[in-house]
Amino acid sequence: MTELLAGYAPGLREWLTLSAILYAIGLYGLLTRRNAIAILMSVEIMLNSAAMNFVAFNRHVAPEQVDGHIMAIFVIVMAAAEVVVGMAIVVALYRMRATVDVNQMNMMKG
Amino acid sequence: MIAEATYTVVFYGLSIAVIALAVAVVSARQLLRAALALMGMLALSAGYYVMLAAEFLAGVQILVYVGGIVVLIVFAIMLTRSSELREDQPGPRTKLMGAVFSIAFMLMSGAALRATDFATSTHGVRPAEEIRMIGLGLLDRSGAGYLLPFEVISLLLLVAVIGGTVIARKTPPRNQPFTTGGDQIGETISEQVRQQDDDSNGEYGR
Repeated sequence: MTELLAGYAPGLREWLTLSAILYAIGLYGLLTRRNAIAILMSVEIMLNSAAMNFVAFNRHVAPEQVDGHIMAIFVIVMAAAEVVVGMAIVVALYRMRATVDVNQMNMMKG
Repeated sequence: MIAEATYTVVFYGLSIAVIALAVAVVSARQLLRAALALMGMLALSAGYYVMLAAEFLAGVQILVYVGGIVVLIVFAIMLTRSSELREDQPGPRTKLMGAVFSIAFMLMSGAALRATDFATSTHGVRPAEEIRMIGLGLLDRSGAGYLLPFEVISLLLLVAVIGGTVIARKTPPRNQPFTTGGDQIGETISEQVRQQDDDSNGEYGR
């Protein structure tokens, strides 16, 4: 049993597959959700899976370097900046139009 | 041997939990539940970083994502009263389109993964001073370093802070440089909305 489980220890391919699954789930949410905040949450899932890719490559391709970690830090910072501006836009739009439905956000001015 | 077996069990167990939580994020009808599922998903993802020998990133993940971004999302849900405005069920066409696109993405990336031969290195050891190396890499001015992206990302954070404040403030100051004179139209629209809205007691749209 232990040998069997140890033989299936996840390598780079398993990590990338997991990341692709999470990215696809985020993509599904991005395409089907109508609430702007829910869409932003889906984008967070996608960014998180992308950052995980960088760290998995770092671990399995060049484990003595930290370049993948630095890239993941950049992704996390970018996600924070994105969610700040996105939330500000959503709150401002809600104040103007009293809705967060992206199907009704169809004008760029007023 | 035991270590590898534990690694496998933890990886697949964690994966099932994270995927289930991610599905809950994209499918929960109540937005607050979706935000809670997102919080759990991001917190469990920190475990992935620990498994990938990136403990510093796990801490950053907890601090920034779980402590900052999810709290911001919950704030936005409360501010827009999205938990009351129940999102209607997406239509079958929308669901089908989303499923087709995400499954197509899965197949495409699966084929790419199968076709690519990654130059994996198994003999390498993990960096001894991970945090020190990250800091030095961020401030390295030579070609291998990341000083310029580091400065650019600092600028991006500053722009995001200023932009978020400018966009989300309620009433703009008059006659200030670099402003357009305010969102008059929005103010009048929200006044109309407020008059139509019975339960609003004046604290919003002012």
